[in-house]
Amino acid sequence: MTFYEQHLQKIKALCYPNQSHTDRLILLRKYIRQHYDQKLDLDHLSDIAYMSKYHLLRLFKRYYGQSIHQYQISLRIEKAKSLLRQGHKIGETCYAIGFESPASFSKLFKERIGCSPSVYQKAQFSIRFLNRKS
Amino acid sequence: MRVTGVSVPVLDQAKALEFYTETLGFVKKLDIPLGDGNRWLTVISKEQPDGPEILLEPAPLHFEPAKVFQKALFDAGIPWTQFEVDDVQAEYDRLIEKGVTFQMKPTEMGTVKLVVFEDTCGNKIQLIEML
Repeated sequence: MTFYEQHLQKIKALCYPNQSHTDRLILLRKYIRQHYDQKLDLDHLSDIAYMSKYHLLRLFKRYYGQSIHQYQISLRIEKAKSLLRQGHKIGETCYAIGFESPASFSKLFKERIGCSPSVYQKAQFSIRFLNRKS
Repeated sequence: MRVTGVSVPVLDQAKALEFYTETLGFVKKLDIPLGDGNRWLTVISKEQPDGPEILLEPAPLHFEPAKVFQKALFDAGIPWTQFEVDDVQAEYDRLIEKGVTFQMKPTEMGTVKLVVFEDTCGNKIQLIEML
């Protein structure tokens, strides 16, 4: 066994001592991935994970490094990027990923990606055009 | 400041290009001659063409400490870097078929599954799947 594998085992024992918690959080994350475009109800999530709301929020952040809300936003933004690359309009994209207002979608998109959805979409078309030419 | 690339030291740039494109499936982006047979050679992910570039740099051939550091990591089994995939087991099966040497079989560690392989150019590389 290499030095690296020995360290992985140490980290696993230290950070993931409870397999039941790990399994339930993995299940919950899958649920969030499937329902990223919907409003997530914390009571419902807590039922799925068989743990209290407080415990769930704390453990999710500890195991995945970000809050449930941040994770859902990152899924929405990734999906938005994909839809924009495919040529969907900004309004369509906004509603498809569960935002209620294009203004709040554009603001958040800019915060996360560094440019507005329209600038992002134009840049993607330019990249595709250049790649086709080369 | 923007993050546009990650550097991977390689012992042979031509061999590295072949492995990273034909075996792993990346796409060559830049290939600029730099003299003495060296190249500014980058590849990108097909799935993420706007993502960071991987610079396959020949540092271990020209700077002894880089070579020593790379070998020390390799011998300890420590990956130089990691790439994210949707399904570690599927990638493992695909790469085994292509003759890639693995240090570790797919292993679950808490909320991730990972595997480590050799890139034929002096590095161990980790693939990771978030569970």
